[in-house]
Amino acid sequence: MLRSMNNIITGILSLIKGLIITFNNNFTSATTLQYPDEKKAMTERFRGLIDLYPEKCVACYQCVKACPTACLAMTHKQTDEKKKITNTFTYNIELCCFCGLCQQVCPTGAIYMNKIYEITTYERNKLYINLLNPEKYDEWPHTSPK
Amino acid sequence: MFTLLNLTNMITTGIAVLGFIAISAMFLIWWERKVSAHIQTRLGPMRVGWHGILQSVADAIKLLLKEDIRPAGADKLVWWLAPFFVVVPSVMAFATIPFGKTLIPKDLNIGVLYILAVSSVCVLGVFMAGWGSNNKYSLLGGIRAAAQIISYEVPLILSMITVVMYANTLSMQKIVESQSHSWNILHPNLALAGLIYITSATAEVNRAPFDIPEAESELVAGFHTEYSGMKFAMFFIGEYTNLFIISAIATTLFFGGWKGPLLPGVIWFLIKTYSIIYILMWIRWTFPRLRVDQLMGFAWKFLTPISFLNLAIAGWLLL
Repeated sequence: MLRSMNNIITGILSLIKGLIITFNNNFTSATTLQYPDEKKAMTERFRGLIDLYPEKCVACYQCVKACPTACLAMTHKQTDEKKKITNTFTYNIELCCFCGLCQQVCPTGAIYMNKIYEITTYERNKLYINLLNPEKYDEWPHTSPK
Repeated sequence: MFTLLNLTNMITTGIAVLGFIAISAMFLIWWERKVSAHIQTRLGPMRVGWHGILQSVADAIKLLLKEDIRPAGADKLVWWLAPFFVVVPSVMAFATIPFGKTLIPKDLNIGVLYILAVSSVCVLGVFMAGWGSNNKYSLLGGIRAAAQIISYEVPLILSMITVVMYANTLSMQKIVESQSHSWNILHPNLALAGLIYITSATAEVNRAPFDIPEAESELVAGFHTEYSGMKFAMFFIGEYTNLFIISAIATTLFFGGWKGPLLPGVIWFLIKTYSIIYILMWIRWTFPRLRVDQLMGFAWKFLTPISFLNLAIAGWLLL
């Protein structure tokens, strides 16, 4: 008898506790972001699309060799001072698996991954990117500063 | 005497009630989504209109445009009639709800009895929907609904009888008048009756934590699994109209009805009713669902004896 009464009282108290918790939630700000209007900044190590600083690139082909899906393709030319310069550098997003190996092997930090994550397009052509073009990602929605 | 004036009066009242039901149901659906969202630290509908207030209108248009699918092997007539059996009684129950001093469709001298009689028909519609759909989940939902609603009607009626004993009348308007000095809920005996009423009324309208007839995780959607388009919308309207009605009855019987200082009666009535609805929503989005046997045990082994005891004490005090 005493135990069942105790059960009832603790039960009612726990119900009230639950009600207080859910009521307090009314006054905390919502965790939802209104997506197309508000966008979350990506973390520092986020692996978005592959990007390049053309002036740092020494045309060593390390990234092309490291790429497991062969989505990077490069050609180079030699200057008169016997220095290699990248001639073409293309990136095929269709094949990319966003592993980040190219970023890891790059000796000069020329190739890196940016913060773009809205990577759907209406045309297939747009997925073939010329990394040497400085305006290559200008049309893409940027969620955080380049 | 039945005159033309009577007829126009009836028609205007009917249109007013139907309009109120439609707007109230749409508002309640939006409000429920908002309340649930804020309780779960979400935002809820935000796109259609200011803070998504027109979301229900958009949903209603979508439901009107949807195909009305009838499952193979359904009991045609029963299946077709079920939504009407859910909606019509809840509309009829509006007849004796006092919104204000003169704002009552018809002040019957057996108002409480009338509402109880009319709202009991709802269970028939729910069971018809379950039976007519030719679907095992619907049938299980229908059976559960019948068992639950009939069980919880006992403590519900017993708690309402306690109020009737104190007010000495069955007329809703006179019950409000009897609370001129203080609300019934402030009387200890009637406060217990009020608590029992709110609990069993929540079960009557199949709302969580007593929502086993439409338990999503067990029965898909229970008795209205097979309904689509406007028939589904009718179940939805019926559900939210019933929610309004139980809160309106609670306001009338326990919280002084339309009585209140300064503001006009109808405003007071709506404030009180929607506050009770908020509490019911708050409860719905806080507590988990009960098991079937716990639910039936709670009705028969706990609520019914307590309401009987309460009734006996009320009788002894009144003697």
